[in-house]
Amino acid sequence: MQAADAELVTRCRNGEPAAFEELYRQHAGRLYNLAYRMAGTPADAEDLLQEIFLLAHRKLDSFKGESALSTWLYRLAMNVCLDFVRSRQVRAGRLTDSLDDDRPGGPPAPQTLPPDSVARLDLERAIAQLPDGCRTAFLLHDVEGLEHHEVAAILGVSTGTSKSQVHKARVRIRLFLARRHAAVAE
Amino acid sequence: MTGCERYTDLIGDEVDGTLDVRARPDLEQHLAACPSCRALLADLRRIRAAAGQLERLEPPAHVWPRLARRIEAERATGRPGGHRVGWLGPAWRFGLAAAAVVAVAVVSGWAVWLVDHRGAGPAVQTPAAVSAAAPATAAAGATPAAVAGELKLAAEHYEKAIAGLQQIARAGEGSLDPKVAEALQQNLAVIDQAIAQSRAALQTQPASEPAQASLLDAFRTKVGLLQETIELINEMRKGNEAGAARIVQGMKKS
Repeated sequence: MQAADAELVTRCRNGEPAAFEELYRQHAGRLYNLAYRMAGTPADAEDLLQEIFLLAHRKLDSFKGESALSTWLYRLAMNVCLDFVRSRQVRAGRLTDSLDDDRPGGPPAPQTLPPDSVARLDLERAIAQLPDGCRTAFLLHDVEGLEHHEVAAILGVSTGTSKSQVHKARVRIRLFLARRHAAVAE
Repeated sequence: MTGCERYTDLIGDEVDGTLDVRARPDLEQHLAACPSCRALLADLRRIRAAAGQLERLEPPAHVWPRLARRIEAERATGRPGGHRVGWLGPAWRFGLAAAAVVAVAVVSGWAVWLVDHRGAGPAVQTPAAVSAAAPATAAAGATPAAVAGELKLAAEHYEKAIAGLQQIARAGEGSLDPKVAEALQQNLAVIDQAIAQSRAALQTQPASEPAQASLLDAFRTKVGLLQETIELINEMRKGNEAGAARIVQGMKKS
């Protein structure tokens, strides 16, 4: 744990006014983006952000400093987001309605994606349809820019699993974009 | 394409920029002979680059004040993780919102005192549940008269806070859309009705903890609604329609 993290956590635990707000200001942006891309709507992302920090506030005394504060918060955030996504899937009566159903069935055609096919909105849509497992790894690694060992620590998996989940996500996104481009071209 | 699966991990490492130098000749030899894997590598690089440049969204400004209120409420009701000193920070120390915080701090401070003196915080119940609830005994060690006195003091603190908030809200009500203002008044009327019902229940069962909890909950709800009304007025005055819309949306959900 970095010295600055340790100091901030200590100030929070001592009940220093504004310390928890400082912690919120430092980490809310990244966690909001993560929550938004897990939940899919700004309103749900706001709710999740509140739940994440409420949980962090309750559990701060249990933070041992064995990992960085950001790693600890990401872990809390992922648990809250996955609980939300899974309960929503159960409510909607669908557990596997995602790109998980799309088995690539071998390497795709040997041409690259057209230059304009990796548009932001299409990429957001592709991410939204990824299975939970590889979506979390992809968001943390490729979107948030964390290293595989950090993703592994957050998700409680091995570094190898993080790598394979991120690769799986990229391949599925590629397939989604290729199909989408083909559908638009028809 | 036979044997391409063998290069999956290496292509992933190459995209990440972490390919082992000892493995590079093998991968490059394969890529030279395999257009599929060359296309895959090029596309995955583009996807990774685009993912890293996705729009960075900022959490709306109203999230922290709402979160701060929830933390204060948890602290006041004695749930795990509570701290003795208020968390409310600089973001609340401006404009009309500051007055709201002062009012709530009075109430929250008193509520902490109440929890400390009476043990665990009361469960939140609706007014309807209050009338159906069985009579409850007062907290151990506290006489009914002492509990009634504490509750009376709490009610006075809340009423004082609510009066201050209402004054601010009324002063800015002209900034609100008439339909929104009417809906807010209707909601306040419902809460007032809940307060009246809880008071009536306490008249017949002064020691009923559910009734006491319900009254305090109704007061808290009214304070929260008035705070959100003031936030809404602030956004409307700033001409921030998107911010105002988000607050209205939040009010509908709460």
